[in-house]
Amino acid sequence: MTGGASIVAEGLSKTYRVKVRQAGLAGALGAIFRPRYREVRAVEDVSFRIEPGEIVGFLGPNGAGKTTTIKILTGLLYPTSGRAEVAGFDPWRGGAPFKRRIALVLGNKQQLIWDLPPEETLLLNRAIYGLSDAEYRRAREELVDSLDIGGILDKPVRQLSQGERMRCELAAALLHRPELLFLDEPTLGLDLGAQEAIRAFVREYNRRHGATVLLTSHYMADVTALAPRVLIINRGRLLYDGGLAELADRIAPIKRLELVLEREVDRADLERFGTVTVLEDHKATLEVPRRDVARASARLLAALPVADLSITDPPIEEVIARAFAGEATEGEVNGTGADREAADARAGTEAAGGHAGDPSGVDGAPSPATPAPPREEVE
Amino acid sequence: MTDSLRTWARRYGALIRAGWMVDVQYRAAIVIWLILGVAQPAITLAVWWSVAGGGDVGGFGQADFARYFFAVMLIDQATLAWDVWYIDRWIREGELNFRLARPMNPLHEAIADNIAYKGKSVVLIALVWFLIAVFWPAVRLPFEPGRLGLAALATVLAAAIRFLTSYVNGLLAFWTTRATAIAELQWGISLFLAGRIAPLSLLPPAVASVAGVLWFPYMIAFPVEILTGTLTDTGAILRGFGWQLFWLAAWAVAYHFVWTRGRRRYGAVGG
Repeated sequence: MTGGASIVAEGLSKTYRVKVRQAGLAGALGAIFRPRYREVRAVEDVSFRIEPGEIVGFLGPNGAGKTTTIKILTGLLYPTSGRAEVAGFDPWRGGAPFKRRIALVLGNKQQLIWDLPPEETLLLNRAIYGLSDAEYRRAREELVDSLDIGGILDKPVRQLSQGERMRCELAAALLHRPELLFLDEPTLGLDLGAQEAIRAFVREYNRRHGATVLLTSHYMADVTALAPRVLIINRGRLLYDGGLAELADRIAPIKRLELVLEREVDRADLERFGTVTVLEDHKATLEVPRRDVARASARLLAALPVADLSITDPPIEEVIARAFAGEATEGEVNGTGADREAADARAGTEAAGGHAGDPSGVDGAPSPATPAPPREEVE
Repeated sequence: MTDSLRTWARRYGALIRAGWMVDVQYRAAIVIWLILGVAQPAITLAVWWSVAGGGDVGGFGQADFARYFFAVMLIDQATLAWDVWYIDRWIREGELNFRLARPMNPLHEAIADNIAYKGKSVVLIALVWFLIAVFWPAVRLPFEPGRLGLAALATVLAAAIRFLTSYVNGLLAFWTTRATAIAELQWGISLFLAGRIAPLSLLPPAVASVAGVLWFPYMIAFPVEILTGTLTDTGAILRGFGWQLFWLAAWAVAYHFVWTRGRRRYGAVGG
C-alpha cells in the first residue's frame, strides 16, 4: 500500500545484458562466433516515496539511472526486481487507466507531429485520451493561456523554435490533466528565457492542480527554482533524498567568507582563519566550517583591514559535484572496479539516448569523471 | 474501464486524418513510391507479354497476363506494409517511449496509418486501371459483384496478414538491429512465392506446393486470382480463405508473443 503517496519505489533495480564488442576486425569476427556479454546494473535498489502535490528534483550525471527510473515508474520498462506503485497502480500492469493519470515529457524525444502544426497533435491527443468537447475546450484554453502558445499553434512544428516546441509539447502532454508529471530534461537546450517560461508553467500547474512532479534536469536553476526536495542518484544508486539546504549541510558543511580588503595582505595571514580559495589584489574568499563562521568572522574583522565582508553558501552545483566526487573516491578506495565498469557501460547505454551533449552531468559543475563509453550494444 | 466504440471511432478518425495530412506534406515522395510499386509488376508484365507472344504459357495468354499483373499492381498497393521500417526506428531510436506512455497500444497508430495510405493509393490505381480498360479491352474484368465482393474480402485479409508480418518483423528490433534485413529476406522470397514474378500455377509443382502452405500466396496471389477469375472452384476458394484465417491467427499469436516478450526486454534507450 502507498499510504496516500503518489509514487512509491521499493528496492527498484534494472539490469541490462550488454554485448561487449572488441575493437578491430578480429574482435568483430570473434563477437560473431563467441559473443561476450556483461550485466549492467542501470538502477540498483532504489527506494523513495513522493507525496501528492510534491515537486521533486531528480539529479545525477549521464547514465546515473535517472531516466531508467522514470521509465520504470511510467510503465515503459519492466524492473528486474523491486516494486513500484504510482497513483495506486503497478505501472507495468496499469494499462490505459494508469496512463490517463500520468504524463511523460521527454526533452529530447517529442511527441509533436513534426510536419503538422501543434494543433493537430492536440486534436489527436483529444481523441486518444477520449476527452469530451467541453473537457478539451477547457484544457486547451487553460494551456494556451498559461503557455502563451495561441500564436504558434497553427505553424508547422518544424518551423518552431526549440522553446516554442517544448511549450507546445507540454500542452500536448497535459491536455488530459494528469495528476502526475514525469518531466525528463524539459529545458534541455533551451535559452534562459525559455527555461524560465517552462519553470513558471510547471510551478503554476502544480499549484493549480495539485499535481505531483518528478523532474530531471541538467540545469540546477530548474531544481533550485522548483524542487524543495531532491533525489540524487549516481551509478544506479540513490545517494541522497532530502532538502536542498540539508544537502549542503551534509555534503559541504562550510560557509564562504568573501572579503574586500583595504590593502593587500599575505595569504598566510588569511589562512589562520580558514581555507583560502581565492586571493586576488584586494579580494579574497575563505571557506570556513559552518559552526566556526561567527567566531572566524569576528576574529577576521578585528585582525585584518576588512572593507567589506559577506557570508554565503557554496553554489549548489558545487555541492552536488562534491557528492558525486565523494562517491567516486569512495568507490576507488574500496577498489570496486566492477562497479566502475558498470557505470561506464551505463554511460554508453544512456548516452545513446541523446544526453551526450552535456557530459558534465550538472551544468556549471566540475565534471565527475566520465570516461569514454566502450563500444557496446544492448542485446 | 473499457473504451467505448465511439472513443475508438474518434481515435481512428483522428489518426487517419493526421496520416492524410502528413501524406499531403510528402505528396511528391508518395507519387514516387507509387510509381516504384507499380513499376515492378508492369515490367514483369512486359516480359511475360513478350514470352507469350501470340500463344500462351501454361494456359496464360497475353490478355491473361495483362489482367493478372494489373491485379497484382492493385492488390500489392492495397496490401503494402512498410511497418517494419517504422517499428524498427521507434524501438532503436526511442520513439516508442512516448507512444507507450499513452493509453493506446501503438499497434492502432500503425493500423490507422495503413488505412490512410491504402485508401488513397487503391482508389488512384483502380481509377487508372479503369481509364486504361476503356481503351485496352485486354485488361477489362467481367463485372461480377459476387466475385468482386470475395476479392475485396480476400484483399482485406491479405492486407491484415501482410501488415502483421511487417509489424512483427519490426518488433524483432527488441532483440536485434537487423530486423529490416530479416524483412528484406522475406520480401525477396515473396517475389516468387506470393505470385509477383509469375502466377503460382507457372511455378514448378514442388515450389508451388510449398508456397501453398506458407502465408506468402495469401498476401497477393490468392486475392489476385479471385479478382481476375483464375480461381473459380468453390472448394479452392474456401480452402484459400481457410489458409488466410489460419495465417492471420498465427501471425496474431506471433504478434502477442513478440510484443509481450519484447516489451519486457525493452531497454528504452533514446530518452
